[in-house]
Amino acid sequence: MDTWNLLLQGFATAATPINLMWAFVGCIIGTAVGVLPGIGPAVAVAMLLPITVKVEATASMIFFAGIYYGAMYGGSTTSILLNTPGEAGSMVTAMEGNKMAKNGRAGAALATAAIGSFVAGTIATVLVTFFAPVVAEYAVRLGPPEYFMLMVLAFTTVSAVLGKSTLRGMVALFVGLALGLIGIDQLTAQARYTAGVPELMDGIEVVLIAVGLFAVGEALYNVMYEGKTAETQNTLTSTHMTKEEWRRSWPAWLRATAIGFPFGTVPAGGSEIPTFLSYAAEKKLSKHKEEFGTIGAIEGVAGPEAANNAAITATLIPLLTLGIPTSNTTAILLGAFQNYGIQPGPQLFSSNGALVWALIASMYIGNVMLLILNLPLVGLWVKLLKIPKSYLYAGILVFATLGVYGMRQSAFDLVLLYAIGLLGVVMRRFDFPAAPVVVGMILGPLAEAQMRNAVAIGEGKWTIFLERPGSLTLMVIVLAVLILPRVARRWAARKAAAEGGTAAG
Amino acid sequence: MTQHSSRSAVLQTVIGAGTLLLGCLLAYGATSISSEAGYGGVGPNFFPWVVAVVLVICGVLCVVHARTGGFRDLEEGSGDESAHWKGFIWVSAGLLLNAMLITTLGFILSCALCFVLAVRGFKSAEDKLDLSPKAWIKDLLIGVAVAAPVFWMFTQLLAINLPGLTNTGWL
Repeated sequence: MDTWNLLLQGFATAATPINLMWAFVGCIIGTAVGVLPGIGPAVAVAMLLPITVKVEATASMIFFAGIYYGAMYGGSTTSILLNTPGEAGSMVTAMEGNKMAKNGRAGAALATAAIGSFVAGTIATVLVTFFAPVVAEYAVRLGPPEYFMLMVLAFTTVSAVLGKSTLRGMVALFVGLALGLIGIDQLTAQARYTAGVPELMDGIEVVLIAVGLFAVGEALYNVMYEGKTAETQNTLTSTHMTKEEWRRSWPAWLRATAIGFPFGTVPAGGSEIPTFLSYAAEKKLSKHKEEFGTIGAIEGVAGPEAANNAAITATLIPLLTLGIPTSNTTAILLGAFQNYGIQPGPQLFSSNGALVWALIASMYIGNVMLLILNLPLVGLWVKLLKIPKSYLYAGILVFATLGVYGMRQSAFDLVLLYAIGLLGVVMRRFDFPAAPVVVGMILGPLAEAQMRNAVAIGEGKWTIFLERPGSLTLMVIVLAVLILPRVARRWAARKAAAEGGTAAG
Repeated sequence: MTQHSSRSAVLQTVIGAGTLLLGCLLAYGATSISSEAGYGGVGPNFFPWVVAVVLVICGVLCVVHARTGGFRDLEEGSGDESAHWKGFIWVSAGLLLNAMLITTLGFILSCALCFVLAVRGFKSAEDKLDLSPKAWIKDLLIGVAVAAPVFWMFTQLLAINLPGLTNTGWL
């Protein structure tokens, strides 16, 4: 079996002491940023991007991937103990997990989250192992029109579907696209929007934007608005699950993996939707409905956590095989690849096969590391939550400086960082999503190049997008993604109104 | 009860206007980009125009929404209703001084200063501002303890250049 051999070679590369060390450090940093509120995997990877200058590609991708999925493990700890989601995907975990913790079952909640993450992460990695090469094989046949439509699909989902307001999502996306325009045009080598400033010829670093929006913006927002928000921490109990709890967790983990994985593979962005779906499914199927929202149902933690991890792992498929990031962190991972002059896409498996397989192999290893890091050692991570908020955020600002300054050694960038931080505060305050900015900025130039190539193939005719069945199908999907939720919402509202009417009557 | 600042029609209008202005600036910039399209039909100025036009439309819509009952489906930003400016000034001072001093003071000291000032800001937001010399020194030492290891990791282990007070790579 070909895949099997490639995977074994991947293990051989990933299991060298130096790569194991990078995976381990990645998992530790990932867990830490997952646990710590105010900093997520996207920022952590962005801050550490300067290492791409010195560290070899395979090692640093293993490292970054470790941070990415490690943060999902750590995120659950914070949601369960503090009721502030450590990162977006663990919002649902915060609802049920916190209820469990309040009733003295924090340990069981943490255990089902960590083991569920492990089960889902490992199954998802197996699926990535077997599906990614197949997708890559098909993806080779895609031309610029299909690529462009795929990217439009990613833009649509990340801006219009995930947020509450399509308008604010669009603003965020197009601000990102505008930032992506700055610099040299890829096809004609013409400078755009550089205003004669030589520093702008290379474009704006994505590190600057990500760190500014997420780290500095978050810190400034916190000092301005959340000084009085006090957090209460639940007590940690032994991470032991009873037989009954195992029996209730298993099916939830598996169902959630089945829900989460497909969502990760399509350019539909993020892990929020599958976690909510899994929660809803568990609530519907559970024999203990009375526990949901009251004393906390273990299925309500097991499912969403597993769905989160399965989706996160699956996002590597569009990233590696199509070069399309569907979340903040994958957008920055794409930036990391670009720093090495590697363009993820269907050719990646043939041109950089060794790297890809080592990366996939490292995920099997990383999941085991994370299970050990997060279950027996959970007490250590909980200590991180004792760091006073003032020190935590001040420390984050130091790391933000490090990441941004380390990239280009420009003090001007630090001023720009502050300005982007202010933008981040405004966006957060007025409910503009931040992810579309980063995705738009990274994916914008690629989408533009594909669009222009596509029109060139069509000899200047835009109908090329309609003539090719692949791009036409994708266009229909984009329209469906835009229109269906609206129709569904209106329909639900009408139904609710009708029911309200009968209830009142 | 004061109004939550994210509900302010004035601020919302300003944001909409800002988006509109950004769109206009992009459109202005797009006029100076050549439309030389080669044989493809789409030049380097096409996409900038698309972005500019969409931002202008979005900006106008934001302003219209702000003037007619506020942004739609708005989830109020978490936390207090209005900003705590004193804390904001401390943190801003930390960040901007850091930008100004990093090349002269070096990474460690400049970041430690930023750390100290930021801690003052967060403490003041929590109403626990402590300006005694003891607290300053304690926080400065913690700041150095945070900044120094990462500085050494970058300069010694990864051989990435960061500015220092001296050229030794240690301070």
